[in-house]
Amino acid sequence: MALIEEKRIPNSTGLVLELRDVHKSFDFNGKAKDSASHHEVLNGINLKVKKGEFITVVGPSGCGKSTLLNIISGLDRPDSGEVHVERNGRLTSGNGVIVIFQEGALFPWLTVQDNIEFGLKMADVEKSKRSEIASRYVEMVGLSRFSQSYVYQLSGGMKQRVAIARALAMDPDVLLMDEPFAALDVQTRELMYDELMAIHKTTGKTIIFVTHNIQEALLLGDRVIVLSPLVRNIKREFTIELQRPRLADTPELQVIRRKILKEFEEDFRHAR
Amino acid sequence: MQGEAQELVSPEQKKKSSGRSLDVEDVANVALFLAAFIGVWQLIYVLGIYPSAILPSPATAATKLADLAGSSLPVGIGTSLLRLVVGFTISVALGGIVGLAMVKFRAFGKTMSSFAVGLLTFPSIAWVPFAILLIGFSDFGILFVVVMASVFSVMITTYSSLRNIPPIYIRAAKNMGASGISLFRHVMIPAATPALIVGMRQAWSIAWHALIGAEMLITTLSGLGYILSVGREFNDMPQIIAVMITIFAIGIVFDRVVFLKLEEKARDKWGLTQQR
Repeated sequence: MALIEEKRIPNSTGLVLELRDVHKSFDFNGKAKDSASHHEVLNGINLKVKKGEFITVVGPSGCGKSTLLNIISGLDRPDSGEVHVERNGRLTSGNGVIVIFQEGALFPWLTVQDNIEFGLKMADVEKSKRSEIASRYVEMVGLSRFSQSYVYQLSGGMKQRVAIARALAMDPDVLLMDEPFAALDVQTRELMYDELMAIHKTTGKTIIFVTHNIQEALLLGDRVIVLSPLVRNIKREFTIELQRPRLADTPELQVIRRKILKEFEEDFRHAR
Repeated sequence: MQGEAQELVSPEQKKKSSGRSLDVEDVANVALFLAAFIGVWQLIYVLGIYPSAILPSPATAATKLADLAGSSLPVGIGTSLLRLVVGFTISVALGGIVGLAMVKFRAFGKTMSSFAVGLLTFPSIAWVPFAILLIGFSDFGILFVVVMASVFSVMITTYSSLRNIPPIYIRAAKNMGASGISLFRHVMIPAATPALIVGMRQAWSIAWHALIGAEMLITTLSGLGYILSVGREFNDMPQIIAVMITIFAIGIVFDRVVFLKLEEKARDKWGLTQQR
């Protein structure tokens, strides 16, 4: 989590993350389907995220969701543009962004407890402090009983709860979730929504939640961002001020849902 | 949430059900198999297809095995195992270091891996004339053959195990601040462990093959391979069979008891064991 460069930007706006004109292309070395081997994925993305906000990002496949996520998390760099993450009251270009992957990416050779302690260990936090923090979060996700279990002994939903605990233990500025519930069955997913909303409420963490599931995006987000492969950028943005937990059949949500579907259809027609 | 937790087996129960201590059925099966094998052997002996000097009875072979166990066999086993352990250790150290270098330096890894794969298929016995002329009839000549036979297997194992780590583990670890040595130690090595164990088991078995072959051809007056070749020189079939049984038993002990146990332990922990 090295700080690449630090910039002093007055931070009275309460921003925790800012993307400025972020561009990203991939070079397929002439292996692209079309003649151009240069494939633009993100075309000047601008995004401001306030502290404590719950943002959901939706878009059809190929819209650059994963690329955007990799850039925000620092796993990939933009070709141009800037990514700033707030740290200690300043916006810097380092990152305190922790990702929760779809597959959970828990380490099978470690117990639940040791998985949650992993990031703290990498940060040289001493043992007693580590286990104290890990115990706190394993309890928050309701898995104290399983703290000495190995990953294969857990169900899909439990694995994702451990992944959430592991991310929270690092006290990240931004929690980045990459379709975290996509592999879960419907019932478990509903329970995870409740759990995630409760965690968001207690910890006040800023969450960016990437999904291809429109309903999920509408149920969870304070703000829903629609990415489009057509413009390779944010196409629309909806602010949802409804109280959580929300019901999927709320008329307001249905209206937004239809609008987003319409955007998806347009992308799909152009792509053909 | 409650229901979800209940369908899970507690860790203790899981351990019990996957415990692989020998049960009565397993022992009975092995006993039956051995009885059938000895029975067929005895039958061929009784039928007198071969002269008894060439094919001794199971009882004669057993007596010879007991004789040898009281004379040259213990030293022979000790010498062979010492050579095997020393040779294998050198292979693991050397192959491991080169394998790591292959992961670290891409171009070297690419070239070296095709070279090493070629040498993997090279028969270990074909190193013997080279070793005799280069080093001579000594322990070092035998060690040379053992190392040359197994080092490339270790090399390829190290290289491929580390390269085939699921990238998601590396990404997650880097995202959580792991890098350099700590990434290697706390993520790459444990992530590669199941594959490493499988490969080491294979390298051990290659080393064992090479050792017996080398001991038969590079005469040093000690070791199981030497006792075996003495049996041939004196037309002593009971001795040949007794040593073969010993070699077989040692092979089984290491493969089943040492490596299989390690492998199963790792597979269990990594959750790779099939539901039974």
